Amino acid sequence: MKNETLEVAQLAPRRRMRSDWVRTTTSGTFAKLVLKGEGPIAVEFMSYGCAHCQMIEPVLQQVAAIVKSNEKIFRVNIAIEPELAERYQIQGTPTLIMFLDGIEVGRVEGPSPVVSTLLTAVRQPYES
Amino acid sequence: MEAQKQTKPILLFDDECAVCRHIAHWVQRLAQTKSGDTPIIERPIGNDPDLLLALNPGLDIWEAYETIHVLMPDGSMKLGGEAVAEVLRNIPATKWFTGTFAISVFGFRPFQAILNFAYAALADVRPLFGCESCGTPRFWIRPIHWMITRTKAIFADRRNPRPSPHFTPISATRRRLLAAPSERLPQAPNL
Repeated sequence: MKNETLEVAQLAPRRRMRSDWVRTTTSGTFAKLVLKGEGPIAVEFMSYGCAHCQMIEPVLQQVAAIVKSNEKIFRVNIAIEPELAERYQIQGTPTLIMFLDGIEVGRVEGPSPVVSTLLTAVRQPYES
Repeated sequence: MEAQKQTKPILLFDDECAVCRHIAHWVQRLAQTKSGDTPIIERPIGNDPDLLLALNPGLDIWEAYETIHVLMPDGSMKLGGEAVAEVLRNIPATKWFTGTFAISVFGFRPFQAILNFAYAALADVRPLFGCESCGTPRFWIRPIHWMITRTKAIFADRRNPRPSPHFTPISATRRRLLAAPSERLPQAPNL
């Protein structure tokens, strides 16, 4: 718990990281990038007005940079893409859905904004 | 089409926060002159980062949600207490005392410092007044927030309304707004 708190303080700077490892996908590109995409793909359903999404953003950027060689991470802005949120029955933000060959293999709602937690969340579904 | 030149300050506000919406309405009402014109434009932050970048290339959507921003016609931005001072400068009823914010004593502006503190305090207590997008309250607010949440849960018979402390559930109202963005109030004015 102590380490987690420290990690949050160190890894969640107030300023946004400029390098964007998480690409935005829309309903127009979702099928091509996610459902027909190769290999493990994680999608963050988020909203810019959600404080928890803001908190997780720098951590997710770090995780995306770590896993970039074998996993892609995309974001879906549910305020602009409500039909995608509806289709995947998103109950709130942030929600991470892990896809493999277009099929949902894992889902995490409101993960703790810590690198280790998020790394486990986006890797675990593909390890079993 | 050529973009219209910005001639008035633009106040960006968090339209997903009930407190911010109320304050924005209040400012809009007070700033309106008899002719119906307003010296300051209000605009919800919204959800499109590119639209904000079009307003000001240095404007980041995450930062816009983090603190109040006023975009000046000269391309500069005022943030936090400075932005509040700028808003008050544009309201006829409050304009008269805004000169005090510029008073400097050995480089220190005491009235501006009080305003900065008041803004920070208000931003912190927003979760107590129905801010759906403010996330986890600051530590000094948490006991009061916890009590309010528990009390609400007793009456609503929902003791565990949130599955995770890092999760913002989509409420029924928000679902409706997501489905019909045009119902959002107030509307973004044409610039």
